[in-house]
Amino acid sequence: MTAIPVTVLTGYLGAGKTTLLNRILSEPHGKRYAVIVNEFGEIGIDNDLVVGADEEVFEMNNGCICCTVRGDLIRIIGGLIKRKGDLDGILIETTGLADPAPVAQTFFVDPDVAERTRLDGVVTVVDSRHVTQRLEDSHEALEQVAFADVILLNKTDLVDAGELASVEARLRSLNPFARIVRTERCAAPLDAVLGIGGFDLKRVLEMEPDFLTEADHEHDQSVTSVSLREERPLDPVRFDRWFRTLIQTRGTDLLRYKGILAFAGASRPTVVQGVHMLADSGNTLSWREGQSRASRFVLIGRDLDGEALAADFAACAAS
Amino acid sequence: MSPVPERRWETGAWVVGLAVNRAGTHAAAALGDGSVRLLDLADPDGGPRASQVHAGACLTIVPDLDDRGFLTGGDDGRLCRIVPGSSGDAAAEPLAEVKGRWIEHVDAEPQAGLRAFAAGRQVTLLDRAGRPACDPLDHPSTVGGLAFAPKGKRLAVAHYGGVSLWWTKAPDVPTRLDWKGSHLGVIWHPAGTHVMTAMQEAELHGWRLKDKAHMRMSGYAAKVRSFAWAARGRWLATAGAEEVVCWPFFGGGPWDKAPLELPGPGSAVITAVAPHPMDPVLAAGRDDGMIFVAPLDGSAPLPLAGRGGSAVSALAWTANGRSLLAGTEDGRLSWITPAR
Repeated sequence: MTAIPVTVLTGYLGAGKTTLLNRILSEPHGKRYAVIVNEFGEIGIDNDLVVGADEEVFEMNNGCICCTVRGDLIRIIGGLIKRKGDLDGILIETTGLADPAPVAQTFFVDPDVAERTRLDGVVTVVDSRHVTQRLEDSHEALEQVAFADVILLNKTDLVDAGELASVEARLRSLNPFARIVRTERCAAPLDAVLGIGGFDLKRVLEMEPDFLTEADHEHDQSVTSVSLREERPLDPVRFDRWFRTLIQTRGTDLLRYKGILAFAGASRPTVVQGVHMLADSGNTLSWREGQSRASRFVLIGRDLDGEALAADFAACAAS
Repeated sequence: MSPVPERRWETGAWVVGLAVNRAGTHAAAALGDGSVRLLDLADPDGGPRASQVHAGACLTIVPDLDDRGFLTGGDDGRLCRIVPGSSGDAAAEPLAEVKGRWIEHVDAEPQAGLRAFAAGRQVTLLDRAGRPACDPLDHPSTVGGLAFAPKGKRLAVAHYGGVSLWWTKAPDVPTRLDWKGSHLGVIWHPAGTHVMTAMQEAELHGWRLKDKAHMRMSGYAAKVRSFAWAARGRWLATAGAEEVVCWPFFGGGPWDKAPLELPGPGSAVITAVAPHPMDPVLAAGRDDGMIFVAPLDGSAPLPLAGRGGSAVSALAWTANGRSLLAGTEDGRLSWITPAR
């Protein structure tokens, strides 16, 4: 059974999520998407499938708050896969205030969902004019940006070039691995939004246009990103020991992380990514021609000590 | 080994559920394309008759209150009653519709004359005429499963955080059985003494009602999608492991008692179980498509259908135990008549 790709659309209230969704659904692509929204009937689509969902975040019965999942998502995906195989994808529109973590984690935690779907990416729509303020006053807005594989920097017509550049720099400093697409009225090409493979390990390398090309920025905000780079090959045992401890002790503060790692003796890079304590790794990729074989690792989280992380990462180098 | 007669059809859609009506004249398969396939059990040469019932997928099927009919729920928000016709065609009659919701959980109890269906957090009881028997019953989260107690005096509704038990004649405030986590299915012991749930985690939870003593059964490889009572409630047979795990409900069990583990031929995860209605054996289906019968005395299992194709998604015996119906995720529908 082929896994159905899933795209999660997030964005603060008024950023333009519904505009984007309507755009995706009304373009003549000939594909059939199931759309999961939080309130049934929020958008009107005649011939596409819209499914209403409650706002159910489940703690698993081990009580671990890191491993919260969306129960409604599990249920709805379970129902959708029973339909005759006529779905090209599933779009999940989260409410403007939703924390994307339990949505993303569902694709790691629930075995049925993990087996039958593939989280293609998280697309976050932000309003160029208001996002800076939102990042100051809203924890959810920060998390939405931190989680994004693609950020649609929308309503670019409402700000001047200087302001736009500074907003973009701020977004990039929060989330260096997202692709930022500037749009007016969410007019982004569909292939910038769908089929991006942002959460799909096989395509992380293709996805990383700006991955770690920028220097780490200093922030006083609690959510920051830390970019680590190591030219020497890594020792897999040392890395594993450090990383396991890190996600066990700091998992709740780690919003997202993604890395491409060169282990000593390995002919292929290893890709690691995750949400909170839930990490996934694979090494189905090959180094690209001319690509630097440095290990690169980006962590987005709360109260991260960049210097300590850099020292620990460097200590994972094979001696 | 004598060959096992099996008639088999490719329906092209996920077999979501199988049921046999109370008269034992017809079996019905609810499919992921919204259709129901009816088999006339008196006509071994006839094939399944298709009837388009739901606009999306069928999500559940049970025998209705009377001898002939079936009830289905669908992702079009409709509850339908299906009656096999004399000409072989079926008539589908909508009993209820809840816009924008899925009807995934349905049960019917002839002695009480009640049907129950869940839509979101609410459960509605319908009487024999199809009229609401009371105000909708509210729950703290979306319903994960529901089941009438034997004779229908009570209704158990599973949801996040536990189970609500309602008195069906005068539902007022439910008794709550609490256990953290999400409960995805619920069944009553045939004597009405225990309530068991399957959970989001690969485990079961249960309560003995007289003292609300907890049972927690873990160690499964996968979610327990299918569980049923065998030998008049002596054993609880469960899917979710590579063996059919049967918990003893006698002699003080299941507390401090090891379950019986009945292996199939070779190894693969069991996805469906169906205890035989008369004999001390049970049928099991696996995620590799194999179906076998395992005797409860632990003697060698008998394969009924080989590997190949996708997971077995539904199993049902006829009441006389002469036929077994089986369905798979990729749409195989089998009518098997093992020698007795």
